Amino acid sequence: MNIKRFLYGLAGLALLIGAWGLYDRFVFGHANTNYGSYVVWGLWVAMYLFFAGVAAGSFMISTLDFLFRIPIFKGTGRIALWTALVSLAAGLTSIGLDLGHMERIWKVFLEGNPSSVMFQMVWGYTLFGLLMLICLFLAIRMPESRLLRVLMGIGLVLSLFVSGAVGALLGVQAARPFWHVGLFPVQFPVFSLASGTAVMLSVLAFFGPKGDPNRRQQFWVLGILSVALVLVKLYFIWADYSVSIYGNVPQNVNAVREVLFGPYWWAFWILQLLIGSLIPVVVLSQKKLVQRPMLIGWMGVCLLIGYAVARGLIIFPALTIPEIENLANAFGGPHLTFEYFPSLVEWAVTIGTIGMATMGVLVGGDFLPLYLQSHKKGKV
Amino acid sequence: MEMQPAMKTNGTHQPGHCEISRRDFLKLSATAGGAALLGSIPFVRQVLAKGGEEYSYLLSLPENQIYTACLQCNTGCPIKVKLVEGVAAKIDGNPYSPWTMMPHIAYSTPIADAAIIEGAICPKGQSGLQTVYDPYRIVSVLKRKPGSARGAGQWITVPFDQAIEEIVDGGDLFGEGIVPGLKESYALTDSELAKEMAAEAKKIVDESDPGKKSSLVAGFKRSFSTHLDTLIDPDHPDLGPKNNQVAFVWGRLKDGRSHFIKRWINSGFGSINAHGHTTVCQGSLYFTGKAMSEKYIDGKWSGGDKFYWQGDVQNSEFVIFVGASPFEGNYGPPYRARGITNNQVDHGMKMVVVDPRFSKTAAKAWKWLPIKPGTEAALALGLMRWIFDNQRYDAGYLAAANKAAATSKGGPTWTEASWLVKLDEHGAPGKFLRASEIGLREKESRPLSTDAEKTYEFDYFVSLVDGEPVPVDPYAEDPSLAVDGDLFVDRVRLGDFTVKSGLQIIADSAREHSLEEWAEICGLNPKDLEEVALEFTRHGKKAVADIHRGVSQHTNGFYNVLSWYTLNALIGNYDWKGGLSKLSTYKADGSPKGQPFNINKTDGTQAPYGTSIIRHGEKYDKSTLFLRDGYPAKRNWYPLSSDIYQEIVPSIGDAYPYAIKAMFLYMGSPAYSLPAGNTNIPILSDPKRLPLLIAIDAFIGETSMYADYIFPDTMFLERWEFGGSHPSIPFKVQPVRNPAIAPLVPEVTVYGQNTPMSLEAVLLGLAEALDLKGFGPAGFGEYGGLTHPDDLYLKMVADLAYGEKEDGSDAVPDADEEEMRIFVEGRRNLPKAVFDLDRWQRNAGTLWPKVVTVLNRGGRFEAFEKGYLEEKLGHPYGTLLNIYQEKTYDTKSAMTGEHLTAYAKYFPGPYSVTGEILNDEKDGFDLRMITYREITQTKSRTASNYWLLAVQPENFVLINAADANSRGLENDDRVKIISPTNLEGAWDLGNGNKIPMVGKIKTTQGIRPGVIAFSLGFGHWSYGGVPVEINGMTVPGDDRRVKGIHANAAMRVDPYLGNTCLVDPVGGSAVFYDTQVRLERVS
Amino acid sequence: MKKRKTEDLSRRDFLKITGAAVSFLGALELAPEKVLASADTSLETRPLKFDVSPEDDQILRMQSDLRRALAKPVEERRWVMVIDLRKCLGCHACTIACVVENKLPPGVVYRPVIIEELGTYPNVAMRFLPRPCMQCDEPPCVPVCPVNATYKDENGVVVIDYDQCIGCRYCVTACPYGARTFDFGDLYTDETAESEGIIFGKPSASAYERSASYEYGETRQRNDHTSSPIGNVRKCHFCLHRLKEGMLPACTTTCIGRATYFGDANDQDSLVADLIASPNVMRLKEELGTQPRVYYLT
Ligand SMILES: Nc1nc2c(c(=O)[nH]1)N[C@H]1C(S)=C(S)[C@@H](COP(=O)(O)OP(=O)(O)OC[C@H]3O[C@@H](n4cnc5c(=O)[nH]c(N)nc54)[C@H](O)[C@@H]3O)O[C@H]1N2
Ligand SMILES: Nc1nc2c(c(=O)[nH]1)N[C@H]1C(S)=C(S)[C@@H](COP(=O)(O)OP(=O)(O)OC[C@H]3O[C@@H](n4cnc5c(=O)[nH]c(N)nc54)[C@H](O)[C@@H]3O)O[C@H]1N2
Ligand code: SF4
Ligand code: SF4
Ligand code: SF4
Ligand code: SF4
Ligand code: SF4
Ligand SMILES: [Mo]
Repeated sequence: MNIKRFLYGLAGLALLIGAWGLYDRFVFGHANTNYGSYVVWGLWVAMYLFFAGVAAGSFMISTLDFLFRIPIFKGTGRIALWTALVSLAAGLTSIGLDLGHMERIWKVFLEGNPSSVMFQMVWGYTLFGLLMLICLFLAIRMPESRLLRVLMGIGLVLSLFVSGAVGALLGVQAARPFWHVGLFPVQFPVFSLASGTAVMLSVLAFFGPKGDPNRRQQFWVLGILSVALVLVKLYFIWADYSVSIYGNVPQNVNAVREVLFGPYWWAFWILQLLIGSLIPVVVLSQKKLVQRPMLIGWMGVCLLIGYAVARGLIIFPALTIPEIENLANAFGGPHLTFEYFPSLVEWAVTIGTIGMATMGVLVGGDFLPLYLQSHKKGKV
Repeated sequence: MEMQPAMKTNGTHQPGHCEISRRDFLKLSATAGGAALLGSIPFVRQVLAKGGEEYSYLLSLPENQIYTACLQCNTGCPIKVKLVEGVAAKIDGNPYSPWTMMPHIAYSTPIADAAIIEGAICPKGQSGLQTVYDPYRIVSVLKRKPGSARGAGQWITVPFDQAIEEIVDGGDLFGEGIVPGLKESYALTDSELAKEMAAEAKKIVDESDPGKKSSLVAGFKRSFSTHLDTLIDPDHPDLGPKNNQVAFVWGRLKDGRSHFIKRWINSGFGSINAHGHTTVCQGSLYFTGKAMSEKYIDGKWSGGDKFYWQGDVQNSEFVIFVGASPFEGNYGPPYRARGITNNQVDHGMKMVVVDPRFSKTAAKAWKWLPIKPGTEAALALGLMRWIFDNQRYDAGYLAAANKAAATSKGGPTWTEASWLVKLDEHGAPGKFLRASEIGLREKESRPLSTDAEKTYEFDYFVSLVDGEPVPVDPYAEDPSLAVDGDLFVDRVRLGDFTVKSGLQIIADSAREHSLEEWAEICGLNPKDLEEVALEFTRHGKKAVADIHRGVSQHTNGFYNVLSWYTLNALIGNYDWKGGLSKLSTYKADGSPKGQPFNINKTDGTQAPYGTSIIRHGEKYDKSTLFLRDGYPAKRNWYPLSSDIYQEIVPSIGDAYPYAIKAMFLYMGSPAYSLPAGNTNIPILSDPKRLPLLIAIDAFIGETSMYADYIFPDTMFLERWEFGGSHPSIPFKVQPVRNPAIAPLVPEVTVYGQNTPMSLEAVLLGLAEALDLKGFGPAGFGEYGGLTHPDDLYLKMVADLAYGEKEDGSDAVPDADEEEMRIFVEGRRNLPKAVFDLDRWQRNAGTLWPKVVTVLNRGGRFEAFEKGYLEEKLGHPYGTLLNIYQEKTYDTKSAMTGEHLTAYAKYFPGPYSVTGEILNDEKDGFDLRMITYREITQTKSRTASNYWLLAVQPENFVLINAADANSRGLENDDRVKIISPTNLEGAWDLGNGNKIPMVGKIKTTQGIRPGVIAFSLGFGHWSYGGVPVEINGMTVPGDDRRVKGIHANAAMRVDPYLGNTCLVDPVGGSAVFYDTQVRLERVS
Repeated sequence: MKKRKTEDLSRRDFLKITGAAVSFLGALELAPEKVLASADTSLETRPLKFDVSPEDDQILRMQSDLRRALAKPVEERRWVMVIDLRKCLGCHACTIACVVENKLPPGVVYRPVIIEELGTYPNVAMRFLPRPCMQCDEPPCVPVCPVNATYKDENGVVVIDYDQCIGCRYCVTACPYGARTFDFGDLYTDETAESEGIIFGKPSASAYERSASYEYGETRQRNDHTSSPIGNVRKCHFCLHRLKEGMLPACTTTCIGRATYFGDANDQDSLVADLIASPNVMRLKEELGTQPRVYYLT
């Protein structure tokens, strides 16, 4: 079966499901969501972090072509940029829908509070998005211009900043010891790069120009990079969790326990560790296997799933621990629980945003000159 | 102060704003018998259409506040309802009343100034809006769908007039045969004849000789031979006329409405059967109180008040709360909690809580004594033993044998402590010795209190003074007649008699066991008993034991209560600040001289007579049934109590002493609220045993679901009542519940007047159809007609405003112009059927401006300063306190024929009505089950309060963690409660509908091991929580309302009675805390 | 009566030192003016027309303290709340009073009372902890807001401008006391039967919860799923709209244990000033440096 057609179908279906989610979201507001006042941020925020990370990461990958001009990545820059843009759009959709009043988002620009990390992040991503647009324009129209390189340089810094800001968004919160750890903001750019790498693995493996001589090389390098980043990521997690446990701050210990042995233990052990880390590491570190594009593509998907889950597992555990013991028993009601599992609407919208991103990549690939010249119109 | 522009001043409501669809409207008016549209809806929509207007905090304006009284629980706190365009938006405490503010603000404070002052009320009070604006309120008359069984949840709506007609005329109403209408039971209608019959029947009862009794019966039949068809049973004329076969039963009832009901059923319809729910509540508290307050009048013990005492704990230095829960239940948290916490923290008051459960009150206590349920008397006697042994009682107080002696010591009360009691051959105490019996003093002729022309023979009581007998006149005021008797007189021989003093008898009772043994019986530490007894006797009159349901609702309830009240008597704290207090209310019924309207006046109506279906206030051995049945009686008789709720339906079921044809049930839910209330269900469901069951209920409730007809009612924010007070409140008060919002029920026309569909409308409608005396255009005699509820209630307010002084010197001041204006404007959104200025004014007559003063303040509340006279209470009980009760002794058990015990004594329980000790533990029922109140819930009024459910959505089976552990139970495990009389562990609702009695486990350290508890108010099975069918349409239920467990069906059934819970055979209490159960885990 | 809300100092400072400030500054100047009654410094009040003595109910005493405070310029008042845990009996009257006063929907609560059982039978204790917003003087919830929708107003109360708030809930995660909840647009009567005309029915019954609340001196109804305060974060605001009327917060007047005190700590004669001078005073999570304005007596 043609992977592309398959993905077109899947993305279309996802968009349909997403449409229903949107309908519910617009008619009933936030009433049918499962995040609440204790687990304030749910799947949509996690997906936003994820997509934003992918965006920053793909941008970083695109610098391999446009800024660092690394030969084997020649020709991958545009699709990486495009993927970054599409991801950002999906991420912004996700976070936009999460806002209580998204129609007021303009206030962040006109009446904002610059000292808020949230403000900085919104501004940062907006600038970043604009910059990527310009870069993409230049990359298609004047791939050799100096301006492109300069902008890519600025963009690289910006991408580090914005993904750091995401970390800071959580990390500055003294109220949440689980997030309030020194290395927290630093982890995020690494995470971004990791997810950018993963998405590029998939995109190139699934849709990359088949005849490209650098293809195998690309897979190998991106694969090894992924393996390395996974290991770094695992190190961070291990460090966080062990520091949390040794630090013996009850809130943190509980949060870690929640992740490892709580109701969603499977998300950590199966999705994040087994599927999202172990399998890809094993596969990608075997040169022989790296020659099989389909497998590589799916490994990228595995990695992405792992990273998405990781985003969730950063957010929720800190929120499922009451600020004050017994708070949840003091007053009950919808959205007043420390337990969280996304609702149907949340899943639907998330599926929609994933569909949107996928569709974006597919459509872009088909209608924009994103892959190497010779393959511009080619059907893979 | 200026009126805010946003406020409409002229707004009577505009039906034009109504958005209810035309279809709905037609349907509604058709079903409501052409009645007016739901009054409220227009306002409701109007409010919602507003908004966006210029801001003004409407809630703080006096024109938007109406003062009335809460009824979320029976405490009845005075409240102010804040309205926005007629819709209640917020409820707060009424600061004119001592319930919610202490000291309460001066009665003279203009209401314009009070508009921004509010007192404190509990969370239920705050939630009142959700009780009234409950989506599941019924708004049309519901009739059981013909062809469907009672309780099947199938209804049709019928017009009000049709329902009234059917109930009066009877007929084949449900397609199951002819139902007798009220007409049939309204047999004896000639009041003169009734009077004669009653007098003859009394003679029969008063005759003790069986032979003569029989011939009196024969004589009766001869004299009234042409009227025997009006009798239930001509062979037992003492049962009374057929009119008694209609019973009116209520749960929560307050004055005003009680006057309305009694006027209808007693003097109007002529039935003796008007019964309330006292015994399910705190029965033995009331009836021990009654026995303790019996007065020696005209040579007989009578005139006891159905009342009880509570501690004036805000002024105490030491308080023992026994089976009382002032922070969560009781009368009530807003009043009591403030007094306790302030007193404790600011003045160092010390508190002991005797309760198997660690209550919130216990959380603040110096000591928590987790007593074994049912051993309350043992604890009291243990403390008394220590007090006797260490002579820590107030000897001076106890020595005072009569009023003169008491007065000389400043004590408002006195006791029989020194009075001599005759012992029988076994040494058992019996009646008091009389002076004439030992030739000490001859009897005296004294005028009768009822008729000064006639006399009776007064025989003095006797005390020893320094060993010498002295005659005692209990009420003598002359200081020369003061008697300070010897306290301990043990088996002294006087004339032909061996006597003991009253206190000796009590001390002997306390010495039945050592302190250690008493402690052992209670499952407590003797050291604690000693410390508590010492502390109790260290604060003069400022120590008090305050008791409630945990003491009274046992098979030995009467003696538990008597023991604790006797303990209080040992320090003589009655009527003292910080001691025991009784309630004090302003009368509003015209009974005090000078009040303009004697609303009890029922000229030309009929005084009911006969034996009540619950056999209260009468002695079995005097009845003609005794001649027939002998001992034991088929069911118990209750000469010392009344309103024995648990007896009503089972007695109807057993047709003992006679069958009932129709029963009205108002604002009560025996199936839900009674222990083993499930036993009522088969009877209520059976048209053969109870041909007609009519409920007046705001919902399809747990019991009204079995009714043939349910009439909707106005709820507490929509109606009138005179709330009365509670013993803990020493001030003289009378809150007035009066309409604050437009009723949500439609209007009906009775006697040509529009009135909201309600209890009153039903009573007026039936009176009109039956042409009852005491109602209608001439119903009020000289005062005019009784054709609208206002005709009664406004007159009562006028009486209240007038006060109790004949010359009117304690009348309230007139409302000034400003208060008048606020009064009228405040009621601008009430429909004319409720508030008609002319009608109100006409009824109040010249007292109108005073009536406005009272209503503006939601009642009458005496000034703070009047509550206390230095160290004493302002409204003392002030008389003889029966700690040895001759009248009780003189009463025989209908089961055994034995004399009742007259003094504080521990009877190990639980026991059956025949006195058989129950021991279910040996059958594997290893846990004692008790029940208690959460502050957020009442029985059947708050399950709809979603705000409260947010605080606590369901209840639990509370169990000690160790007990849970040993049974392998954990939090949230689900268990079924199995008891000896409910082996299935289920509510059998009839029609094949059973709901298992399953609750969630909550482990705690705060309960005595071996005891489990569940709280009241959850586990409903109707009340809008389940779907019902009305006119063929399904009304879906909301299952938030039926969460949790209600385990009353596990409560033990009396083995002799078979269809009734355990009872206190003396005090009449329904028993809540004496059931052994076991738990069965369910998945 | 329209007043600009004041910006807190830290933000102004920030603007001064940030190079990019110019453009923001411009934007801010253009921001539409907000009408927030809380910012009304001239809290005109209705008088309490009688004398209050020390023997009077605490509620009255505090109300007269309140009147005194309102007569002073706003910057000289320091509103604080004191909760005497020895007097609190965990009754939740305050919780519900607040819910009704502010028309809080399901899931929104400003003042839960947290109950904890301690010890082992028969030595058991129970602790009741009412938790309003602490109105921190160093509120972690404020600087995180991307649009300045939440800020400390002149009264020292941390308020939320419902028309400004974008509903990002960042502030919720920042509050160490769990004092902020989000309005999801629910109604308590949501799950009840419509059946109007047969029973009273939801459409009419829900009126009491849809009719206007008076928070912040604004009237806002709930007739849809999206209009503010739906979609906003909400929290305790010391009942500013009632203070303005010379009335104490709703939780304070209905405290049946008389455990809750409110007033101006700067007024030496006030009840609260007295209470916070006692040795048994403490504040929650003081170590975080949030400087709560809610004091507890233990
Ligand atoms: N497990 C357990 N059971 C208990 C207790 C306990 O502590 N534990 N306590 C007992 C005590 S103390 C008492 S007093 C009893 C009370 O028991 P009852 O007097 O029987 O009272 P409720 O159960 O409150 O019944 C109230 C009925 O009135 C209806 N109703 C509510 N409001 C109105 C109204 O405005 N008008 C009319 N006409 N009807 C209305 C309700 O729908 C319901 O059907 O319960 C007892 N039951
Ligand atoms: N919240 C709320 N308040 C109410 C009411 C309500 O329904 N809800 N109803 C009002 C009415 S009608 C009444 S009658 C009063 C009742 O007021 P209370 O009698 O004060 O309240 P209860 O909770 O029924 O019982 C008092 C205490 O007795 C304890 N207890 C249970 N079994 C035993 C026992 O065997 N021995 C001892 N010593 N204690 C025991 C319970 O744990 C409870 O703490 O409350 C009134 N106030
Ligand atoms: S105690 Fe509460 S529920 Fe009971 S009457 Fe008072 S305010 Fe109402
Ligand atoms: S308690 Fe929380 S919401 Fe309130 S001011 Fe402090 S940080 Fe902000
Ligand atoms: S939810 Fe509203 S108040 Fe809170 S940070 Fe976001 S915009 Fe500010
Ligand atoms: S001060 Fe007002 S808003 Fe704050 S908790 Fe109390 S009642 Fe609620
Ligand atoms: S109202 Fe008062 S006593 Fe009751 S929980 Fe609140 S603070 Fe405590
Ligand atoms: Mo009761």
